[in-house]
This record gives sequence, structure tokens and C-alpha cells, in this order.
Amino acid sequence: MLNSTAAKSIGLLLGVLVALGAFFASVMLGTTEISLSSLYGSLVHYDPTNIAHIILLTERLPRAVIAALVGASLAIAGALMQTMTRNPLASPGILGINAGAMFFVVVAVSLLPLHTPAHYVWAALLGALVAAILVVVLSRGRHGELSPLRVVLAGVAVTAMFVSFSQGLLVIDQQSFESVLYWLAGSVSGRDLSLVAPLLPLFGGALLLSALLVRHANALLLGDDMVTGLGMQATTIKLLLGLIVIVLAGSAVALAGMIGFVGLIVPHMARGVFGIDHRWLLPACALLGACLLLLADLGSRFLMPPQEIPVGVMTALIGTPFFIYLARRKMAGQ
Amino acid sequence: MSVLLLTQAALMPFIAAADTPSSPPEPPRIVTLYQGATDSAVALGLTPIGVVDSWLEKPMYRYLRDALDSVEHVGLETQPNLEKIAWLNPDLVIASDFRHARIAPLLEAIAPTVSAPTVFNFKTTLNMVANATGREAQANELLEQWDDRVADFRQQIAAKLSSEWPQKVAVVRFKSDHVRIYTSGFAGSILDELGFNQPDTLQSQSWGMKLSSTENIPVLDADALFILLEPDDPAIADNYQHWASHPLWQQLSAVQSGRVFEVEPVSWMMGGGILAANAMLDDLYSHYGLLQPEAAPHQACLPHASGRGEPASC
Amino acid sequence: MRTDATLTLNSAAKSDSNRLLRRLLILSLLLLASAGLSLYLGSFPTPPLQVLNALAAPQSSDIAFIIWELRLPRITLAILVGAALAIAGAILQSIVRNPLASPDVIGITSGAALAAVVFLSLLSSTLSIHWLPVAAMLGALVSALLVVSLAWKNGVSPSRMVLVGIGLAAAMGAGTTLLIVISDDSAAMTAYVWLTGSLYAAQWDDVWSLLPWLVVAVPISLLFARHADAMALGDSVAEGLGVAIVRSRLVLLACSVALAGAAVAFAGGLSFVGLIAPHLAARLVGRNMARLVPTSALVGALIVLYADLLGRVAFLPKDLPAGIFVAGIGAPFFVYLLHRSRARF
Repeated sequence: MLNSTAAKSIGLLLGVLVALGAFFASVMLGTTEISLSSLYGSLVHYDPTNIAHIILLTERLPRAVIAALVGASLAIAGALMQTMTRNPLASPGILGINAGAMFFVVVAVSLLPLHTPAHYVWAALLGALVAAILVVVLSRGRHGELSPLRVVLAGVAVTAMFVSFSQGLLVIDQQSFESVLYWLAGSVSGRDLSLVAPLLPLFGGALLLSALLVRHANALLLGDDMVTGLGMQATTIKLLLGLIVIVLAGSAVALAGMIGFVGLIVPHMARGVFGIDHRWLLPACALLGACLLLLADLGSRFLMPPQEIPVGVMTALIGTPFFIYLARRKMAGQ
Repeated sequence: MSVLLLTQAALMPFIAAADTPSSPPEPPRIVTLYQGATDSAVALGLTPIGVVDSWLEKPMYRYLRDALDSVEHVGLETQPNLEKIAWLNPDLVIASDFRHARIAPLLEAIAPTVSAPTVFNFKTTLNMVANATGREAQANELLEQWDDRVADFRQQIAAKLSSEWPQKVAVVRFKSDHVRIYTSGFAGSILDELGFNQPDTLQSQSWGMKLSSTENIPVLDADALFILLEPDDPAIADNYQHWASHPLWQQLSAVQSGRVFEVEPVSWMMGGGILAANAMLDDLYSHYGLLQPEAAPHQACLPHASGRGEPASC
Repeated sequence: MRTDATLTLNSAAKSDSNRLLRRLLILSLLLLASAGLSLYLGSFPTPPLQVLNALAAPQSSDIAFIIWELRLPRITLAILVGAALAIAGAILQSIVRNPLASPDVIGITSGAALAAVVFLSLLSSTLSIHWLPVAAMLGALVSALLVVSLAWKNGVSPSRMVLVGIGLAAAMGAGTTLLIVISDDSAAMTAYVWLTGSLYAAQWDDVWSLLPWLVVAVPISLLFARHADAMALGDSVAEGLGVAIVRSRLVLLACSVALAGAAVAFAGGLSFVGLIAPHLAARLVGRNMARLVPTSALVGALIVLYADLLGRVAFLPKDLPAGIFVAGIGAPFFVYLLHRSRARF
């Protein structure tokens, strides 16, 4: 673990470089050969008849952007969840976000005539919101406080309910099952940047808000009453953080489907290196999450060509060895 | 006079019996537990007392709807309702090891059960159903007709395409966010029998593969493409448009030689029996512009790709 | 005086255990009645008189076949599976000291699921389907061993085990998803139904195969119940009380793995019961292990029984997997109890 500010700064800088490198690799490598001049050409003198240009702008670039955005968002959302609930098992999925999104998408596909990824996005976002609100409402204590334990338990209940209803719809309708399969497994391909554009304000707003609340998040780790010292009620902070989590994770799931590993495991990894101070933790999570997803997307193209492995699968396959290593090391001192 | 009447009455049954031929034995009460079996039963002139749901065009494919008008449904092919089957009290159950190995002991306890190893081999299924119901003669006739058609097709297509034959053919199915290529299975085995080959890129695949990125369009390269689309799904049509308008698609040899054919998934994948097989062959005849020998009666009621699923008058 | 105090304590303890016995009795009666209801309902309801006749004379009629070979094995399996998963969950929540713990989270059921899906996608053509439960059981065992060995560092600390467990569960879940995505259509759906958790096609063989696991693991868990209670207070307290922590933890973990693995092997991914039932049971009788085990078992059995019943009769002629309804039944109860006990947290 890095202890001094200098070390942490260098660490973050390295992180940025690695993330940029991963982005670059994700754009350049793939089934089709792309040269550097093609990359330059597609950005500066776009030629609609040049296949390399088309692939770069319709496939590679959107994928890389989405992967980076989704990875960063899920990781930050996960870190905030774990802080809010003070439970290492927490992840955005615990708030029912993934399950709510899944349910609404499954309903859209099997019962309503909404089929295209563009439609999925809004259904998923709505579902994520509904599920999260349900969890918050269910977990309010007698005096309106939100105890971490209750949030987690309510989340588990809501998640299970939505997942099982979705399963019910999918099991009886093979066609819906096949339509939704790739989305369920998590995918960043086949999505146009125009899909991302309307969600950018959401991502941007939530990321900005999280930057503003880092000190409050730190205080929250020490206990609810510590937060009041900074001039805000603990409940307000939790609600704001919860809102950030919902927006980030909901938008991420809406865009890329169910990528479950990042929000749970990446915060642990970032904490292992940068510590629990959110001022370092959140940027680290963003970088690490983006890297992980970019590398996973890259790897998914090369594991079983020409079939592409769902990106959620790759992130788990890549991340788990790291995570287990960290879990063992971290616990050594305890 | 009354004595005469009485005698006449007493003799009636014998007179009647002498006039009419002996009535055929009661057809066996059969329950078919997979699509191919249902298709084969209808082809052999049997009406099952219980069938499983179809995969598309629920609850039963249009080409079988008339024949199976008032037949009970016993649930899904993958999970038939055992209680319902028991209630129907069948004489024979037609199942497949591929799907029903787990419930085989229970099926056997309900009624004698015959089981095919897979679901897509329509000849095995046809023979099996025929043997179990005593309709071997009809089955042989159907299979002979099939063999004749196959021989005729092979001859005509080799003559028409000369050096371009045999062709490499890919069977491609579009879903709303990915594409599937099938190499084996029902369509694959029939195409094999007709002399078609697999495209080079797909030689080593087990059942086929799924593609999600338009970058991988070159994998579909073949002399001819048969595209399975589901007519009632706009998202699938959209996805097809998206892929078909990509420049890499224009570079496929099948596209350039104009051999991209849209076909019905019901005949090419779902039906699974000899009726569906004949419909698939009809498609191939029409797409390659070959003339059919005079149409056999059972073909007239089947959907053709051009008709978009509307059955011609029988 | 002393005698008074002892008397008060004794009578308090007695009324406490009376209350426990009462609750257990009510639950058992409820279970029995539910089983009866389940026997009565089906594709076509069978009149109770006929059900009794059929129970008495197994070979007599069609109805007897349906009762004896279709419904009764399924109901029995539902009860056993629910009980096994609930007890496994109760044990895990105790040794891990985290209310979110369940065989799911620690990676046991993910291991079974991965093994089952590997079997269904890759091996189903070479091996008979009757080996599927064995494959699932092996998967559970192997993943449990992996978790323990990867988390081992001079013993197994609960928090480390949890972390390693969730990591492995995530990885195995990814592998399962991968196999489903690249399989052909029918294998994918079969695997998905398995993951959802289903008691379709339950037969007496399955019941006889599951029963021994319960017969062996449950008494052992009860034997170690006191140790579990001590460890729930903290490792140092437990050591002070003379508990051999490492050994007890491993034994209890082994029982949990055996129960969860065996149950999942026959019923698929029904493991949510392992999370919900112990919580519901704890509301009734508290977290003392000796009480929690039988109560969880009864609660779990009831949940799975009703889930399967709903799946069988609510959407005729379709037969839906029980897993769909386990959460549908368990979660609202859970939420209701969360509300009722607002003061407790």
C-alpha cells in the first residue's frame, strides 16, 4: 500500500498512463488490421468509404469510450456503496440496481415491443431507479435513518424478487431469452456513440457530485455523527451518495448490460493500494475500473476468435486472480 | 311379416359387415414430445392426442394447425407436463433422449415410450414413429419420395451451376443484438445430404457460433447465405438492416453474386420433421431457380419463403 | 433470595423452551398441512378421498401413479432441499458473522452451478443425465476446497474467507455465463432453468440420494451448535470458552457445504432459500444455533414447498421452475419482517 502523498500521486499518474495505454490498445487491436495512419485519418479526414475508418468510428472508438466510462462509473459506485453500508460485500448490485434494470429490460423485450439496444437503455435506467427507490423506502428505520444493515438486507430482498420475476419471464419464452442473452452477459459492442450522448450529462453530474462529497464520504467511514461536524446530516449524505450510486450504476447497466465484477471487486483492489481516503480512492477506482474493462474488452476479442466473449465474463476472469492475491495479502496483518 | 322383419334385423349386422370393408384398427393414442415427432406423426396421417408447444407461431406452427386443431397441449418440449400426459392415458409416448433422458423412467411408467437419440434427425424420427405405430409402409413411401427429390435436386443443381458446384453455404440467423451461424443440426444435415459444403471459416465449430460485432462479418463468407428471420420481430429486421448495410457485408462473395436468400425459420430449424424438410427443399429449389418435378400432395400446404408463411391452398 | 432467583431463571428458561417447542410444533403442523395441500393440487385437483385411497394403495390407479410417482417424490424432495439449504445458510451466517452470507456468496453454489452448466453444455452427449447431480456436488466440493485453501493462512478468518469466496463466486459465475452464451439454444435454456432452480422430474431416486446427506450433516451441526454460538461472540471469547476454533469452523463449514452442495445438486440454483430462511427463523427463535437449525429447516422446507406448488399449479399447463417463486415468497416476508422490526436495527 502506498503511504505518502507523493507515492499516491505517482501511483495515480501511472494509473492514468496505463488507462490511456489500454484505451489506445483497445482501439487499435482487433480482428481487422488498423494502422496508425488509419486512426489519424479517421479522426481528421474521415472517409466514409474507407473500411478501416468505418470500423474505427463505428466499432472501436465507441467500444473503448463505453468501456472506459462504464468501468469507471461502476467502480466508483461500488466504492461508495461499500462506504455507505460499511460492508465489504456491498456492490451496486446490492441496491437492486442490476436486478431492477434486468427486470425492466426483460419486460420490455418479452411483453412490450421494445427490442433495440436504444430502447433497452431507457427501460434499464427506469428499472434501476425504481428498484433503488424501493430499497431506500423499505430500509428506512423508525426515525427515517438508513442503517447499513437494513439497506443491505432490503437490497438483497428486492434484488431476489426482480431476478426471479425476470427468470420467470425468460424461462417461459425462449425467444426473449435468446434476444436478451448477450445483454444479460454484459456487452460493449454494437453500441453507437449516439446511445451514450444522452447519458453523458448523467454520468458527468454524478461524477462531479462525488468529487464534491469526498470529504463527507471519509467522515461517514468514521461514523454517522462525524458527518454532522462537516455541516450535513448523515442521512442527507447517504441519500446523496445513494443518488450518485444509482445514477452511475444505473446508467452503466443501461448502457452495457450486467457487468457485475467491477463494482464489487475493483474498490477492494484500489483500497489495497491507495488506502481508504476517498480523495485518492475514487480517482483510483475510476482509473482501475476503466483499465479493467478496457483490457477485458480487448481480451474478449482474442480468447475465442471470431466469437466474442461477453465483457462481463472477461472482467471476472482477469480480475479474480488479482483480487484473491490482494485478499490474502491484505488480511495478513489482521 | 314380423318374422321377416326380425330375421332381416337379425341379419343386418352381417349384411352390413359384408358390404363395408373391415374398419381400420383404432389409431394408437400417441403423445409426441418434440417438434420433429409431431411433424412425423402428422406426415404419417396420425393425429396425436397430445403434443408439445411449438417454438414459434405458438401454440402450433401454421403448417400443422389444421391437422392438430383440437389436440391437447402437454407443455413445453423441454419440460412436458407429466401429470397431463398421465391423465391423457396414451398408448405410446414419443420422446427424445436429448431432451427427456431425465424423465424417461417416469414416461415408461405412464406408457410404452420410444425415444430418438437427437431431435433433429428427421429420418430417424419418422422411422421410429412408423415402427411404433405400424405405419412402416407410409414411412417408406415418404422417404422414397424424399430420396427421389434429393437425387433430382443434386442432378439439376450440378447441371445448372457446373463449375460453381458444390457451393459453400452458411445458415445465418439474426437476433436482435447478435447473429448466429448454424453448422450442424436440422438444416445442416439436409444441406449436407444435398451436397452443399461448409464455409471454410466454420469447419471446426461444434453447433455453430454467435457473432456480436460487425467487424466479424468476413466470417460469414460463403458462396450462398441463407438468412433466417423471424417475421414478427422488428428489432431483428433492424439488426439485419444494420449488418446488411455495412461495407464489409457488401464484400461478401454471396452478396456480390446475389445469392443471399431469406428463408423461414419454421421450415429450416423448428419443424424438425419430414414435412418441414420438404418445405426446406422447396425453398432451395425456388431460390436456385430449379424446376420441381410435379409437386407431391403433402407439399402443397406448406409455407414457402415467397409466401411469407401463408399456406397455399391444399 | 437465591432460590427465588434460580426459580425465576428456571421458569423463564422453561417458558422460553416451551415457546420454542410451541413454535416448532406449529411450523411442523403447517408443513404437514402444506404437504397435504400440495398432494391435492396439480394439473387436475384430486379429491382428498381419492388421495387417501391412492396413498393406501400405490398400484391401484392412474391417480395413484400421479400421487406416488409424480407428486409425492417432488414434495418430499422440496421439503428436504429447503431444509438442507436453510440449515446450510444458518451455519454459514453464524461462522461468517455476516447476515449476507449464504451458500451463494461463499462460492459453493456457484461452483455447483459451473459444474452443472459445464456438464449440460459440454458433456451431456457423452454422459447420461443421471450424472448431473454428481457433477454439481463435485463442483460444490471443489469450490469449497478452493475457497478454504486460498483463504488459509494459519487458520481461516471469516472475513478473508468471505472475500475469497465472493471473488471465486464472481469468477465462477462469469464462467457459467460464458458457457451459456456460447452454447447452442437448447443447452443454454436447460442450463438457465437449472440455474433458476427447479424440482421438475423429481423422482424417488433423488430423494434417497439426498437423504443420507441430511442424516449425516444435521446431527453433526447440532453437536457443534454450542461452538458456533461461542464463535459468534468473537474468536477470542470462543477460545476463552475452550473452543477449538479452527477445527470447529472447518467441521461446520464442511456440514454447510455438504448440505448446500447436495441440495443444489438435485434442485439447481435454489440457494436463495439459504439466505432468507435463517433470517425468518431467527425472528422466531433467536440466533442460538441449536434452536435455529430445526426452525430454519422447517421454514426453508415451507418456502420451497410453496414455491414448487406455485410453479406447478399457478400457470397451467406450464410447469415453472420453483426458483422463480422462492424469492417471490421469501422476499416479501423478509421485507415485512424488516418493517416490523424497525426498532431492532
